[in-house]
Amino acid sequence: MTEEQKTAEFEERIGRDEKIEPGDWMPEKYRKQLIRMISQHAHSEVIGMLPEGKWIPHAPSLRRKMILIAKVQDEAGHGQYLYHAAETLGVTREELYQAFLDGRAKYSSIFNYPSLSWADVGMIGWLVDGAAIKNQTMLAQCSYGPYSRAMVRICAEETFHHKQGKEMVLKYAAGTAKQRDMVQDALNRYWWPSLMMLGPHDSESTNTPQLVKWGVKTKTNDEVRQEFIAETAPELIASGLTIPDPDLHQDEDGVWHHGPIDWDEFWNVVKGNGPCNAERLGMRQDAHDNGQWVRDALEAYSEKKYGAAAFA
Amino acid sequence: MARWEVFKKDNARKPYQAVGSVHAVDPEHALHNAKNVFVRRPAAVSLWVAPAAAIFSRSAEELENQPLDPTANGHEQRYLVFRKASNRRSMTFMDHIGETSAPNGESALAQAIDQFDDKPGLAWWVIPAEAITASEEDVAEAWFAPAATKTYKQQSQYGFVSKLREGRKGAVTSDE
Amino acid sequence: MNNALKNALLNRLIGMADDELILSHRNAEWTGHAPLLEEDIALANLAQDELGHATVLLGLVEELNGKTPDQMAYFRDAAEFRNVQFLELPKGDWAFTMLRQYLFDAYETILYNRLLTSSYQPLADVVAKFRGEEIYHLRHSHMWVERLGLGTDESLGRLQAALDQMWPLTAQLFQVSEADNLLSEEGVFPLAADMADEWQEIVLPHLANCSLHVPTHATMLLAGRETHTHFLNDLLTDMQQVARWDPSAEW
Ligand SMILES: [Fe+2]
Ligand SMILES: [Fe+2]
Repeated sequence: MTEEQKTAEFEERIGRDEKIEPGDWMPEKYRKQLIRMISQHAHSEVIGMLPEGKWIPHAPSLRRKMILIAKVQDEAGHGQYLYHAAETLGVTREELYQAFLDGRAKYSSIFNYPSLSWADVGMIGWLVDGAAIKNQTMLAQCSYGPYSRAMVRICAEETFHHKQGKEMVLKYAAGTAKQRDMVQDALNRYWWPSLMMLGPHDSESTNTPQLVKWGVKTKTNDEVRQEFIAETAPELIASGLTIPDPDLHQDEDGVWHHGPIDWDEFWNVVKGNGPCNAERLGMRQDAHDNGQWVRDALEAYSEKKYGAAAFA
Repeated sequence: MARWEVFKKDNARKPYQAVGSVHAVDPEHALHNAKNVFVRRPAAVSLWVAPAAAIFSRSAEELENQPLDPTANGHEQRYLVFRKASNRRSMTFMDHIGETSAPNGESALAQAIDQFDDKPGLAWWVIPAEAITASEEDVAEAWFAPAATKTYKQQSQYGFVSKLREGRKGAVTSDE
Repeated sequence: MNNALKNALLNRLIGMADDELILSHRNAEWTGHAPLLEEDIALANLAQDELGHATVLLGLVEELNGKTPDQMAYFRDAAEFRNVQFLELPKGDWAFTMLRQYLFDAYETILYNRLLTSSYQPLADVVAKFRGEEIYHLRHSHMWVERLGLGTDESLGRLQAALDQMWPLTAQLFQVSEADNLLSEEGVFPLAADMADEWQEIVLPHLANCSLHVPTHATMLLAGRETHTHFLNDLLTDMQQVARWDPSAEW
């Protein structure tokens, strides 16, 4: 069979809603795109531990502290599930992770913004996890089996992230004056980055058409952004908070229109010039370096007890 | 670091199901990692781990393109058989469906496909029984039961958090 | 329950809760910084289990002194905390964290075992619920001490350094006050000193199997649970800052 015939057959399989599994033939471009997407996604989960993890020591009640530890832990778990999915495509977690530490791999731009107050934890949960869920729910339908399964598992956990964040924001919006100011400030800083994290406009997004055709994505960035605004804006407004976009409005057909997004800022942050890019990567690099002797000890123990490469 | 596939049994009636993998250097380490990663929420009653390198794996498409060539090489041993039989949306991959005895992985799979013909397999794994390590039964209570008390990580605990009475129809709920 | 007995019990309950609370805080500091992704998750599990135990124990405290768990955690100063000192030390390296966990898990396993038959029923009841998690914790830290002790020269060296530093401080776990005799006579709380032998029977063979040497001429820390290092102050500054920033708020 020629490459074209194989590709045609592959696309037919996707058209029949079959899942592509490890071992199945796939176009090289599909494999590459998946590795790119899944590993970026995994790195985002891993780096996503940091902005909120930073606040675990400061959580103001035992319940909030418990919830936040569990939430940040879930993000580590999500990274773990996703690296597993990527590994089924013939790459190792170690090499993907090294590319991330070296700055060769991207991750979601949202995690390069600072978390400046406790209320950011709530806002991140509601908006950032909320926006992420939109994407993840879509990716749970994805044609590649391992990615889809990881997403199904992740979605089930994300709903908790979203709800605990929303619970906090609504509570603080109706709380003391200090709490209201704090949560409004968090909204001012996280609203635009949340819209941006759903990706460039469809007209600018080079990867989307192919990804839709191959059943990796089932919706475009702008469609997902519209859904996100429709779900969050009315509730934010009802809570008495002010969304930092004077142009935001809903037309007669119910479609939301937002002011212009500052894409220069977006691309700047994506390129690694965000406020916390170096700091966050540096922290992961430190964790990696400080953990090297631990991983070496584990390998040495295994080798002594079971022999070299006993499980490889 | 070696990769280990993890199989979780949710309750007495469910089969062991492939849930993902962990990195670890030995079976005990792998079981701990599996517990920590995959039993953060209920439910589980038992776990298996197996080094990914010990698994003989074929998808239906691979089987179609290069038929199996069973041989008598190797020593006869027990193999556990796992199969994916549906394209339904799911968070698990393979189900454990039984076992067979064969001298090597390829022969074990050829037999398994004959033996378990109730449903067509979309993907198959056979794993030598001796490569699988199970969580100990006498500590099952200590390992798995406490997860059920961690209710703060279940989204249902947060009820319907909203200022608005109407308009949202659970669009973000995706529990399976 | 007479007042003397009640105060003695309160003191012990607060000690147990503070041990769990402070250790949980230190373990949670690893989230996002562990040597292996799987261990970020493991340490967060430990931290949650311990925080859960602290919260439940503070619930028992509330029944006796009327202060809510959050008041106890966020509005006491260092001098009012009753945790042992080695739990408040900074998280250190992975060897320090795992060894501390191991020595403390072994102690808690024994303590909880004895408390299962406490004549103070509410305590016996909650401890029964903690037991499973404690058994698991001990297995996990036991496994790690073995792998670091029998791993590389570096891992053994780091583990030994952690043991040298920590060993003298573990004596504080077994300190007894006057009032403790009362608790033990009434079958409410075991005499801490009575648990030292059993603890050594568990940890000494394992430490030896892992190529570790217990310091022989160390000066053991005999101070009571009301004394602390400056590290507790630092920890509480972190922990209590938001809660105290707006004490009138509900979080
Ligand atoms: Fe996540
Ligand atoms: Fe999340």
